[in-house]
Amino acid sequence: MKVTIKSWTGVATWRWIANDENCGICRMSFESTCPECALPGDDCPLVWGVCSHCFHMHCIVKWLNLQPLNKQCPMCRQSWKFNVH
Amino acid sequence: MLRAIGKRDRDIFEEVWPDKRRIVLKLLRQDTVSQREWQDLFFGVHFVCLWDEKGAAKIYDCLQQDIVEFIVQAQSQVQAQRGEQALLATYIVEWRKFFTQSNYLPLPFRQLEQSPQVKPSSSGSSSSASVSASGASTSAAAAAAASSCSGQAGKSGGSTSATAGASTSAAAAAASTSASTSSAAAAAAASGSGSTSSSTSTSKKNPTEDSPVRKLMLDSWNKHIFHDIKHRLQESAMKIVHAERNGDAYDAQLVVGVRESYVNLSSNAEDKLEIYRENFEMAYLKATAEFYRLKSAEQQQENGVLAYMKYADSKLREEEVRAKRYLEPSSFSILTYTLVKVLIVDHLNSIIAECPALIRDYETERLNLMFRLMDRVMHGVGVEAMMGDLQRHIMSAGLADMLSASEVITQDSEKYVERLLELFNKFSDLVRNAFNDDPRFLTARDIAFKTVVNDTSVFKMELPTSIANRGVKYTAPESKCPELLANYCDMLLRRTPLSKRLTSEQIDARLRDVLLVLKYVNNKDVFMRYHKVHLTRRLILGTSADSEKEEDIVEWLREVGMPADYVNRLARMFQDIKVSEDLNTQFRTSISRHDAINIKILNAGAWARCSERVSVSLPIELEDYIPDVEEFYKKKHSGRKLQWYHHMSNGTITFVNNFGRYDLDVTTFQMAVLFAWNQRQHDKISYENLRLATELPDPELRRTLWSLVAFPKIKKQILLMEPAAISSPKDFAENTMFYINQEFAIVKNGKSQRRGKLNLIGRLQLSTERSQQEDNQSIVQLRILRTQEAIIKIMKVRKRMNNAALQGELIDILKNMFLPSKKMIKEQLEWLIENKYMRRDDDDINMFIYVA
Repeated sequence: MKVTIKSWTGVATWRWIANDENCGICRMSFESTCPECALPGDDCPLVWGVCSHCFHMHCIVKWLNLQPLNKQCPMCRQSWKFNVH
Repeated sequence: MLRAIGKRDRDIFEEVWPDKRRIVLKLLRQDTVSQREWQDLFFGVHFVCLWDEKGAAKIYDCLQQDIVEFIVQAQSQVQAQRGEQALLATYIVEWRKFFTQSNYLPLPFRQLEQSPQVKPSSSGSSSSASVSASGASTSAAAAAAASSCSGQAGKSGGSTSATAGASTSAAAAAASTSASTSSAAAAAAASGSGSTSSSTSTSKKNPTEDSPVRKLMLDSWNKHIFHDIKHRLQESAMKIVHAERNGDAYDAQLVVGVRESYVNLSSNAEDKLEIYRENFEMAYLKATAEFYRLKSAEQQQENGVLAYMKYADSKLREEEVRAKRYLEPSSFSILTYTLVKVLIVDHLNSIIAECPALIRDYETERLNLMFRLMDRVMHGVGVEAMMGDLQRHIMSAGLADMLSASEVITQDSEKYVERLLELFNKFSDLVRNAFNDDPRFLTARDIAFKTVVNDTSVFKMELPTSIANRGVKYTAPESKCPELLANYCDMLLRRTPLSKRLTSEQIDARLRDVLLVLKYVNNKDVFMRYHKVHLTRRLILGTSADSEKEEDIVEWLREVGMPADYVNRLARMFQDIKVSEDLNTQFRTSISRHDAINIKILNAGAWARCSERVSVSLPIELEDYIPDVEEFYKKKHSGRKLQWYHHMSNGTITFVNNFGRYDLDVTTFQMAVLFAWNQRQHDKISYENLRLATELPDPELRRTLWSLVAFPKIKKQILLMEPAAISSPKDFAENTMFYINQEFAIVKNGKSQRRGKLNLIGRLQLSTERSQQEDNQSIVQLRILRTQEAIIKIMKVRKRMNNAALQGELIDILKNMFLPSKKMIKEQLEWLIENKYMRRDDDDINMFIYVA
């Protein structure tokens, strides 16, 4: 008797690797969405700054639009730059 | 004639009139009048009015005497008739003659209504017959005198009359002054006061119709002949109608003639049908009601209610046709009302009493007849009673049907849904055929369907009404219908014997049917939940029969009003599967040896709620692949980490033994268990050692092993156990031994096959060892949240709202998901108040106020 694998379908979900539990702006969990969205995941992504702080994309964009002059990270007050990996 | 001009005024009338009077009498008798005589008459009247200052009044008086005399003669002729038909016939002949004359005779006398000279003399000599008539001409004269063209009134009036006479048609071109004057005169006369001013009516009428001479003729007829014999006339006419109703043929024209005389006799310009209505119509209605009052009772007694309905229906139609012959259109509605009263309303109860039996026996024709009859009854009393009967019948018949078949349908969702649909179609047909799909009956049907669908007496699922926080569990039974509907959907959408048997169109039709039933289900959230679970299985195992149809039904669900966020989630699931496919392609091209590996990456929020992850020790081959996949994914999506859901993973293994070579579809857990024997195929392995080898949690291992030793519907199991007499996975002990069935083979038609494919997955377990109870609890939990959410949504807009209105809106918002119970609403309101989302008004305990 011999058993060999012919094919296999692996099922997985994914989660964010964030350095915090909650979004520092909306205080919602990163596992859920920003207050405007309904579905977590691709529709409401997270973004990281070069300062390594992480927010819901919708939240940080809204925040940056409210800052007239210096676009700063709301957590560490460093100038905000998106960290493109 | 010219000689006459020289004579003194008062002689002119005596001079001219006797000659003209002969022409008048000829006209009355309808003797031939030559053109010359006709013209002479115009001239004579004109001449007398012009030269004799009291001429108009004299002519009028004289004319009146002649008319009355003529009428008296006619009357004596009519009265002389004994037989009813003869009486009517004579009357009608006389009347027609007279009526025709009433159109012509007034023409030469138009001068009378215009001449101002009539005024003093006529008021002075208004001696006998008709005070009102002479009064009318008085006021007519007065009005004409007041009009601006008084100086030329004589001349212009005369010429108008002449042309009108020549053309014999009504001279509509007469000066507006004369028209308004004459109508004013008529109106004044109608109101019965001879000396009223001319300010009543301004409506334009045919000048001949309003002429005082015509009025004089009609009024005289009315007074001298009609008044005396109208009762005889009516009676005779009604006798004819009565005879006709009894089936004897008579000359219908007699009745028509009488009616015409009633209508034409009216000189009341405001209400032409006054005399007709007060006499003829009333008599007709009375006779009709009396006739059918007797007949209907007789019919019903002799032939029974069912035959009576037919009788009533045919009589109603018959009478409508008859009414068209004998009555003025204005009478139709009151006649119908009278008939309905006598024929239907008076028998309402006995007719309605037949309804339940007719519905029971599907007597669509008779029901349709009954419906048509009842629909005529005002205020819908009868229809309402019928609706009630229908509703009760569908409910009781539907439930009885379900109950009688309960053994089959509680087990088999296909049978259940098909039975339900059959029932629905049967009753929909009934409503269509018997009640013409009348909206009222459709509503009654829908209410009854709802009751049947949501009934809990045949089968139910128990839902805890509140999360058991005080250790007390209440259960509110709910119909299992939504669950069975979802199961049926699954059978249609998955590759099953059922879906293979049906064509694509048939499947579409059945899916539509499911949605139809779903419309009546109160708790749609249960359906959605099960539908999603089934969809998850189909997508992960790739067992959809038709992926296009899968997406179609999502759109259909959107169309029937399923909540948008729910439908969006379903759409998201399809998207995930597509994204995963792309990902697979990329993965395989990046590392060529992994073509057996397939990954499905799901968005956690969109899919059926998965339970906590279960650890398992994978076969070495797979274990090697995992890091490759994770690495690949990390490169594609930074900031993300994969979490494996091995209880949903599955695969195909090739199982080779002495008999043959078999492809087995298995879950990853089954795979892990079977691989334990790969190195030691003849060993017996204890439960305890299998647990150590697979690292599966106890409940999962038990379940997986059970699926391998006792998979339903296969002759030879792949694993055997010792002792063999274990009847449930709970009875596995630590030292229960398991070993590979070396005899394993796929058996088909009693023969062992050398090759073959077998699916050992069965129903993919989406959740781990969570009991149904907990599953249901999550439904309730979700309902609680939805209710709270909806209350807050409403209160945010309304700010203040009383209890009843709030409940109404709440049910409206939630109705596409579930029907919130009063108890739950109350509990959630209390919770929201306790947590300061809202408060009660200090003065009114039923008023809620939103607290920001």
